[in-house]
Amino acid sequence: MTQQSTAALTGQVSTAGTSAAGGAAAAPPSTRAPGRAPGGRRLASLGRALLSPAATALAPLGLILAAFFILPLVSMAILAFTVETSRTESHLGFGNFAGLSSSHGRALMNSVLVSGVGSLIAAIVGALTALCIAQIRSKRLDSITAVFSSVLANDGGAPLAFSFIVTLGNTGIVFTALGLDRLGFSLYTWQGLVAMYQAFLIPTMIMVTLPTFAGLRREWSEANTSLGGTGWTFWRRVGFPVAWPSLLGGWVLLFGSAYATHASAAVLMGAGGFQLIPLNIAAQLSSGTGRGGEASAMALGVSMIVIAIATLVLFSRLQRRSAKWLS
Amino acid sequence: MAVMTPVPEAPAGSRTPAPEAPAGFSATRALAWARWLPVIAVAAYVTIPLLCSIAYAVLPGGTFSLDAYSVLGSDAKLTNAIVRTLLITAVTIVVLIAALVPAVVAVHLWAPRLRTVLEVLCTLPLVVPPIALAAGVVAMLRWGAQQGRGTTPNAISQFLQSPDLPLILVGTYVVLCLPFTFRSIDAGLRTIPLKAIVEGSQILGAGVWGTVWRVVLPNMRGSMLFSVFFATALCFGEFTVAATLNQQTVPVWLFTVSSTDFRASIAIAVLLNLITWALMLIATLSAAREARHRD
Repeated sequence: MTQQSTAALTGQVSTAGTSAAGGAAAAPPSTRAPGRAPGGRRLASLGRALLSPAATALAPLGLILAAFFILPLVSMAILAFTVETSRTESHLGFGNFAGLSSSHGRALMNSVLVSGVGSLIAAIVGALTALCIAQIRSKRLDSITAVFSSVLANDGGAPLAFSFIVTLGNTGIVFTALGLDRLGFSLYTWQGLVAMYQAFLIPTMIMVTLPTFAGLRREWSEANTSLGGTGWTFWRRVGFPVAWPSLLGGWVLLFGSAYATHASAAVLMGAGGFQLIPLNIAAQLSSGTGRGGEASAMALGVSMIVIAIATLVLFSRLQRRSAKWLS
Repeated sequence: MAVMTPVPEAPAGSRTPAPEAPAGFSATRALAWARWLPVIAVAAYVTIPLLCSIAYAVLPGGTFSLDAYSVLGSDAKLTNAIVRTLLITAVTIVVLIAALVPAVVAVHLWAPRLRTVLEVLCTLPLVVPPIALAAGVVAMLRWGAQQGRGTTPNAISQFLQSPDLPLILVGTYVVLCLPFTFRSIDAGLRTIPLKAIVEGSQILGAGVWGTVWRVVLPNMRGSMLFSVFFATALCFGEFTVAATLNQQTVPVWLFTVSSTDFRASIAIAVLLNLITWALMLIATLSAAREARHRD
């Protein structure tokens, strides 16, 4: 970054620079300081950049990221891609991933079911609510919604599970009041997870789609009306085509968020042995110091990151398609 | 879509209300009320569980009682967990601010092109699910422990997991806070003429960091408040990493005690929930207030 600005100064000061450029001494004498070999110049400016106040200020954060983010992920990846063939021998490969679909097939099915159904319900309810909020056109409601939806969207922790156990658990207050046992509902199944996840998925959807609905301009619908269109034509021709990438993106984001949720699911299911990808990772990490379990936990962790990246990339791409019209 | 129910075929000039106005009026009125239904339903869905837990915690058998909260004084494990959580929170906040603010200031002052790199690095933790990060941390710590007694990696691994102040949690929580706090501090720095302030005070004889401490930070109070409250809320509520590493913080204590004393765990969970919501609320409001100043 500072390379170009410091390149002009090369050869004037910096002991680090001269020692680093020592290897370039064979350069023709006619081209003196400014014309040093590019490698030497780069090293010189690198040396100076490392001693600059900017580098000193960036170092602590860099160290933290390296030690508590990059190093853990690298160690996880190494374990995930190292296949042990015998007690002492191992090689790199995808062997740990090959067995996942059979040993964790049930967990994968549950995870996809819970995230798929949960995100679909939350996307529909959330989008509908955001649409209504946008149409109420109250500044105060808009700002209250913005604040509360972002607070609630971050809330998928242990207390959420406790409050749902009290409300919808087997002796829960609402559960007994509505007689939900007659409907065959139980909080400790995939349906319960879907119900609980709504508490943070719906606010997330509202948070993501409210700007889209608020951004549908009044003039568009007025133009539609003055051209003789009905409300239905407006939504079919203008509103939905503009909003659908954002809605679809919101759904994808919700899927990723539900798939990655661990804390509230862990508290709700406890030691019940419910199969879910995040719960299986945690169980294998705590139970097995044995290499087999650990390696497959790491492989599952890597697969979760891959899915998270995929959903986020898809989300931001779709979001940008809507934003094109709304800015 | 019903915002413009005015009759379309009415001539542009005629502003007089159509004869069927009263009927149309009540129809739009009903629709206006119907729009509140989903809003109220969602609000109820997220508040009823909290109300139920409050009722369960303080109304055992229908009479008001705070007995469930006596666990606060009687359970030494809870006291330890609270002290540990508060300590982790304090250290996390200090480390987060001390590492992040200089980095963002440096990038704004001296290396604007590094800003994107820093932004990407700070946003990346958002992509990694907490349980995956926890798995990575376990992998790292076990590798250190496997190097054998007396080796440096083993010692570091032990030191990071010390139950009094598990620095591994501090580091992980700083990383988990970064995506949100970076954005806030970056936006806060963009609102003030940082270069001019620093140059001006340098002419007057002050150093860069003295200026940052005395002039820049007070001018971005909103971002700082957001970071502090967000970090506090995260440290109070984080369960996944703490439970995986077997560190007894308050959320982990909640989970452990729920099998023996359920009412106590609900009572503390309600408290924790309300505190976290309040902290997040303050954080979001302080960030929003600063955003309004910017406009």
